[in-house]
Amino acid sequence: MLHDQSNNNTKFLYALLPALPVILGAMAIIWQYGVGLYGVIAGLALLCCGVGSGLFLWRRHEDELALVNAHWEEDERRKMEAVVTYTTELERLLLTITPILSQHVMASREHTEQEVISLTNRFADMVTELQLIVNRADDALSGQQHYQLDNVIGTSRALLQPILESLKQIHQVEHLATVELHKLTPHIDGLSSTVIDRHKLIDQLNALAANGAKPEDLRQLADDCAHIDQQLAEKVNNIVTAVNATLATADSSILVDDSTLYQAEDNVKQTLAHLSEALVHYRTDVEVLRNNAEQVRSEINNVLVAFQFQDRVSQILTQVENNLLNLQETIQKIQQQGSERNGNMLQVDEAVEHIEENYKSVSSRPSSEQDSSDDLTFF
Amino acid sequence: MAKTILIVDDSASMRQVVGIALKGAGYEVIEACDGKDALSKLTGVKIHLIVSDINMPVMDGITFVKEVKQLDNYKFTPIIMLTTEMEDDKKRAAKEAGAKAWVTKPFQPPILLAAIAKLVLP
Repeated sequence: MLHDQSNNNTKFLYALLPALPVILGAMAIIWQYGVGLYGVIAGLALLCCGVGSGLFLWRRHEDELALVNAHWEEDERRKMEAVVTYTTELERLLLTITPILSQHVMASREHTEQEVISLTNRFADMVTELQLIVNRADDALSGQQHYQLDNVIGTSRALLQPILESLKQIHQVEHLATVELHKLTPHIDGLSSTVIDRHKLIDQLNALAANGAKPEDLRQLADDCAHIDQQLAEKVNNIVTAVNATLATADSSILVDDSTLYQAEDNVKQTLAHLSEALVHYRTDVEVLRNNAEQVRSEINNVLVAFQFQDRVSQILTQVENNLLNLQETIQKIQQQGSERNGNMLQVDEAVEHIEENYKSVSSRPSSEQDSSDDLTFF
Repeated sequence: MAKTILIVDDSASMRQVVGIALKGAGYEVIEACDGKDALSKLTGVKIHLIVSDINMPVMDGITFVKEVKQLDNYKFTPIIMLTTEMEDDKKRAAKEAGAKAWVTKPFQPPILLAAIAKLVLP
């Protein structure tokens, strides 16, 4: 309505402006020559010419405006078509990629979850194995194991000690036997002198026989004695030779035995000392191993606690999934409105505020490295 | 005889971590992935304690605690909330629902075990 009125006013002005000088000219003619038929006709003719030329100019102006309007409308139409195309394509893009992104997020979440489960299992097994090492090391260090080296060395020492004592006793017996053999030597010498005395007696018997006292019997007796003495002397000589040889061997053997026994005892002592030294090193190594195992076990336990962050990651990814699905649903609903849809339907501010609030809530939770003094509350 | 503990958490990795800690301490473990799943497992079997998350699909932890307190066989079973949540409102809601303790994730296994040892009757 307003546009039509403006259009009429413009049309009137376009018609009036060229006619105005003509009208003024007609009025001047009438005023100069008075109101006459020719004057009136001439005035009307001029008026018609003015109005006609004004209408011509207005038409021309209208045509120019129509042309401009046509260009403008075409331009606007193209822009609208571009916007509609953009909006439609944007909706199509979002509706296409949102499920894909959502699926990727879900796959990532599940994959990470599976990997964390696998790693957790493996680390938990390591903790168990390390705990066994620590326990066995503790047993070894505290002497709980029946096969521990302390016992082995102690038992060996206890077994070897009586053997050494037995060897010493045998050596002592051998010593005593040699001493006894040495004691026999004077008696053997006495036996030899007895044989000599018997020889003298035989000589005296022979002398008596020569002097006529039953000479044959005495001679026979002397011969028998001489024969016995000879046998006795031979046996004594044999005994002396054997005893001397035995003494020589025994003396030599005692010297060798002394040396061997002392060497054996020294070797046993050195062996036991080496074993004791090895045991000290073994204990040190076990203690180092135990401490290292304990430290590694503690570190792995910390890793297991850190793995709990998967829960947080999972929550965030679930939130992302839900937000993507919500976006998809919202766009689908708006798309169904067709040409009635508008930007307000998106409720961007409310949606962004909701999402920010959710992520803020998740990200404000404690990390594994923060103080855990408030971790436990009893109601 | 080993005590039995029900773990309720939608995260499989969290159930595993809690399970390892509890089994290592000599407990037997039953797992459920949400409140509804957990309720379906409370069918007469003796449960000495429940460890439950709060944010779970299908049925959240607070609702689950309220449901447990309605069951004659389990209304006296102690429940520990194991969650990433820290808000006082949620702690209050858990307490009012009937939970006995609140442990924040990520947790140190000795802390959870200490809470369990205090709540499980010998």
